[in-house]
Amino acid sequence: MASRKESTSVSSTAMASTGGTLDSPVKQIQIEGLVVLKIIKHYQEEGQGSEVVQGVLLGLVVDDRLEITNCFPFPQHTEDDADFDEVQYQMEMMRSLRHVNIDHLHVGWYQSTYYGSFVSRALLDSQFSYQHAIEESVVLIYDPIKTAQGSLSLKAYRLTPKLMEICKEKDFTPEGLKKANIGFEQMFEEVPIVIKNSHLISVLMWELEDKSTVADKHELLNLSSSNHLEKSLQLLMDRVDDMSQDIVKYNTYSRNLSKQQQQKHQYLQRRQQENAQRQSRGEPPLPEEDISKLFKPPQPPPRMDTLLIAGQINNYCQNVKEFTSQNLGKLFMAEALQGHN
Amino acid sequence: MSRFFARSDSESEESSSDDEITDKAPGATFKQSLLLSDDEEDTKRVVRSAKDKRFEELTNLIKTIRNAMKIRDMSKCLEEFEQLCRAFLKSKNIVDKEGIPPFYIRLLADLEDYLNQLWEDKEGKKKMNKNNAKALSTLRQKIRKYNRDFESEIAAYKENPQESADEEEEEKEPEDSGSSSDSEGEVSSKSFLKKKPEAPSEATKFLKTAKGSGDESSSSDEDDDDDGDWSPSDTGSSSETSDKEEENALKRKRLVTFLKVQRAQDTEKPGVRKEERKKKPKQKEQIEEEAEEEGGWEKVNRGVPLVKEKPKMFAKGTEINTAVVVKKLNEILQARGKKGTDRAAQIELFHALAAIAAENNLGQGILVKIKFNIIASLYDYNPNLAAFMKPDMWKKCLDCIDELLDILFEHNNIFIGENIAEDSENLAVSDQPFRVRGCILTLVERMDEEFTKIMQNTDPHSQEYVDNLKDEGRVCGIVDRLLTYLENKGSTEEICRVYLRRIMHTYYKFDYKAHRRSLGLQGETKSEQDQEESKEESKEESKEESEGEDSAVIMDRLCKFIYAKDRTDRIRTCAILCHIYHHALHSRWYQARDLMLMSHLQDNIQHADPPVQILYNRTMVQLGICAFRQGMIKDAHNALLDIQSSGRAKELLGQGLLMRNMQERNAEQEKIEKRRQVPFHMHINLELLECVYLVSAMLLEIPYMAAHEFDARRRMISKQFHHQLRVGERQPLLGPPESMREHVVAASKAMKMGDWRTCHSFIINEKMNSKVWDLFPEIQRVREMLVRKIQEESLRTYLFTYSSVYDSISMATLSEMFELEMPTVHSIISKMIINEELMASLDQPTQTVMMHRTEPTSLQNMALKLAEKLGNLVENNERVSDLKQGIYGGYFNRDQKGGYQQKQSYQRDQKSYQQKQSGYQRGGYRNQNQGNY
Repeated sequence: MASRKESTSVSSTAMASTGGTLDSPVKQIQIEGLVVLKIIKHYQEEGQGSEVVQGVLLGLVVDDRLEITNCFPFPQHTEDDADFDEVQYQMEMMRSLRHVNIDHLHVGWYQSTYYGSFVSRALLDSQFSYQHAIEESVVLIYDPIKTAQGSLSLKAYRLTPKLMEICKEKDFTPEGLKKANIGFEQMFEEVPIVIKNSHLISVLMWELEDKSTVADKHELLNLSSSNHLEKSLQLLMDRVDDMSQDIVKYNTYSRNLSKQQQQKHQYLQRRQQENAQRQSRGEPPLPEEDISKLFKPPQPPPRMDTLLIAGQINNYCQNVKEFTSQNLGKLFMAEALQGHN
Repeated sequence: MSRFFARSDSESEESSSDDEITDKAPGATFKQSLLLSDDEEDTKRVVRSAKDKRFEELTNLIKTIRNAMKIRDMSKCLEEFEQLCRAFLKSKNIVDKEGIPPFYIRLLADLEDYLNQLWEDKEGKKKMNKNNAKALSTLRQKIRKYNRDFESEIAAYKENPQESADEEEEEKEPEDSGSSSDSEGEVSSKSFLKKKPEAPSEATKFLKTAKGSGDESSSSDEDDDDDGDWSPSDTGSSSETSDKEEENALKRKRLVTFLKVQRAQDTEKPGVRKEERKKKPKQKEQIEEEAEEEGGWEKVNRGVPLVKEKPKMFAKGTEINTAVVVKKLNEILQARGKKGTDRAAQIELFHALAAIAAENNLGQGILVKIKFNIIASLYDYNPNLAAFMKPDMWKKCLDCIDELLDILFEHNNIFIGENIAEDSENLAVSDQPFRVRGCILTLVERMDEEFTKIMQNTDPHSQEYVDNLKDEGRVCGIVDRLLTYLENKGSTEEICRVYLRRIMHTYYKFDYKAHRRSLGLQGETKSEQDQEESKEESKEESKEESEGEDSAVIMDRLCKFIYAKDRTDRIRTCAILCHIYHHALHSRWYQARDLMLMSHLQDNIQHADPPVQILYNRTMVQLGICAFRQGMIKDAHNALLDIQSSGRAKELLGQGLLMRNMQERNAEQEKIEKRRQVPFHMHINLELLECVYLVSAMLLEIPYMAAHEFDARRRMISKQFHHQLRVGERQPLLGPPESMREHVVAASKAMKMGDWRTCHSFIINEKMNSKVWDLFPEIQRVREMLVRKIQEESLRTYLFTYSSVYDSISMATLSEMFELEMPTVHSIISKMIINEELMASLDQPTQTVMMHRTEPTSLQNMALKLAEKLGNLVENNERVSDLKQGIYGGYFNRDQKGGYQQKQSYQRDQKSYQQKQSGYQRGGYRNQNQGNY
């Protein structure tokens, strides 16, 4: 989370990002307003409730800046078209778009989220395959619920090189992760986003803002937030439960492991004693046996899920924090207003 | 059996016959006795020499071999042959003296021939089963080898089979008849037994004759002989009915034949015996008298077995005095418990003896002694502990005990006791007090157990059970009489024991008379006292007996005596439990509860033996039901929880066995458990028990559930109740309730909504009345209590559930809704407010309840839940790091202590509950039981 960039402003004014010192090839993302609108529209039309919509981002790379200039949605999967070929669909779409002179470089994908729950195994896997194929790929996460409350929420994430390494090796054992020295903080990096519009549109926006009355912005001051919070808490709680389970699993594992270590140790000692005795009697020592066969180490639980859960919990917490700090601000404001009156 | 007789006067018996008698297996004797049924065989009744005995053994074996040969059972043949060889070796010295018996040779030859023939028969061999074929080849080899030793004899036999066959002519007959009797053994033994009941009459007849003819004339001797004869031989028994002359003629003939057998070897027979009690010796006597007249007869090489003993006791004319009777008694007693003893016959013997004793006016002492023995042998009749007495035996037993008690009451100068040594008994001298060994208490206790056994083994739904149950009165009567007797004479210990018996017969019975009295008369206490003074024992089960002590008073008196005097812990424990049970049964809740708590039985009942634990469980259940009747719902629930929650109430109460796998319980354990079962008439109705439990659980659980609807970790008061609720919910189609459980579940649902009227109609209706409530003695009161409880708890539930939708509610409305008086409503609501269950305040002037919104919002609840979960998470995490570092971090501890308020309040709840519960400790029976399996 080296550089988190909030795009809280309603207006689609381009916001200059302070930019992080990322060692990745992409340091900044510039999104066309068109793309944002298309994503929002896609969700509005296709996604309901917790349904997730996905699509492909198209654009080009300029220096260390990724420009996303267009996108197209994936159709919603239903059971009827199980034989639907995604790859072919993508290729065809891109080919068609090239015909109408649209950037056709595949630069990533986007996904909607439900209360910020997106850190999952599926996301990790597909982002890994994207980034593996096209180094500059990003995933855009669009939070429709937050957006509906008045603040556009659009974030771009990339896997850190470390995580890329791990995924490449597919080593999710506790030892592997320990060696890689990776925590949930270092799994994803957020790339600052800049939304760019043409000047004409900007002008229009300014004009619109000028014209809009205060009442239009009342939505912003809405205090009733418990519903949102409750949902977040609920989700958070579920994750915490998962986490607990994982920990218990890990606990059992490590206990078993240590027990076995002990047994192994005892066995070796006994062996040594016996050998010493035999030596003193002039007998040949016992043949060496394969200890690892005798003591099969317990299957270590995969730790990647735990990491992901931790990342997700972190995500929720951020959400809740953000939300509550905003709300607190509003409450203070309301109090001040009341006092003033 | 008879061999003991022989031994008893062995001092006069010569050694060879003694030897022969003792060495013979009783079974063989019996079988042989059956052979005697034809007249010819009668002649062979003889005292056999060692040779006879050996030869008989051989012939027996040979007989079996021949039988086996006939049915081609080679394995049997082989087996018997081996035995035969051994037996032959044993009788070697006799054989040496006498020469190899021809029948033996004959068998060897025949067997070999037979085997060879069989061996040749390839077809037949193929048909044989494996075992037989194997046995055949082995046997063939063996006999070949064996026969080499007897080659010359066999050759001789084969040369001249006729001659040898002659010798065996007589051999053949018994063989044949033996083989037939072999198969008929059972039938004939039965027929023999059937004859038995005639015995007493026979005995008395004998006695009459014995008395009638004072001198020892020869005719009476013959008479004697005849009497002796009748039992083994059919002709004998028929002859008894025929007139004298014929009888005598017949007898003479028989005697003659008898004597000719006897003659040869009787030269060395002993002299006259003083008191001949058996027929065989008597015959000997006669032989000696008449032997001179008759010529010698060739000896018979087949021994004739002893005759079955007969209910004839004494030689005619013997002066019957106490010593003789005692001696006789001891003789009979010695046969007791021995294999092959006919127990029924023994009982008859005792009876006859008693009759003799009575007839000769030998005094009560001896009579008592005999009675003791009769009863003991009646108990002995069933060798198996699990089997129960037959009705006629049982009746006899009761009669006997009654008579014994009669005697004891009539004659104050009889001392009985188990510690009176056999030799210090005084049975004869009537001016001194009689001293008799024996314990009437043990007999009565045993009788009581037998009664229980009978009840256990009778189908409880049959008329037979009712008939058997009628004997309860008699049993109680006997116990009562014994009690009066022992109160005067017995030691405290004995009194304690008999008191316990009395208590055991009283505690589970509801005293309707006292109940009616307490309903009817006010001055009942006074009359009660009067009765207590009169101390009149009464059988409370005989209801028509109008004046009788209240069972409560009796229980009180008996139990208190035991508390004070008893030194064995078990009797006291049982007495306490019965006392509590009785209290509880009669709705004296506080006495029952106090007694239970004061006795501290809950702490150590798990160390008691299973029957006591069953009694404890029964008591707990009764206590719970009593609490329920009194409206102490919580107490009722707690008392019943242990029994009900196990789901094995039936087993814990000893009212039936649960179906379980055989691996958990083998046949032996099953038998033991069966013996522990409580007879049906003492059962506690299990449906009533369950219903009481479920209804109390409902009354507790539903308001509790309503109050703690949002709690993260809700405790269950009653798992079983929840289980029933779940079962009810799982039903795909909900029809009107049928069973008791369904009624309770439906009622619970109604109560959840605060709908007390529906709840009421589900709990108390025709069906439930007939199923459950009518079983209570004070139905009306219980119903009223129940309605009231339902109203109150429904009100509470209603307030818990719907308080959030009210700003304020008028108490008048509530009182109208729940049909409760204003003060009650007021008190319930006040209690809820004080207990912080309801966030509200009472507004006095307007009589309304003002609700305060202090309930946490769902968001707050959620946050609390989350906090708890996080606590868990931290805990788990801590464990992981503990494991890694091996050091116990302080963080975890702090965290737990810091706690979450919510959590703490749960713990408090729980603790208070546990405190209440600890009053009723778990039933130990279960725990120990599990250990057993």
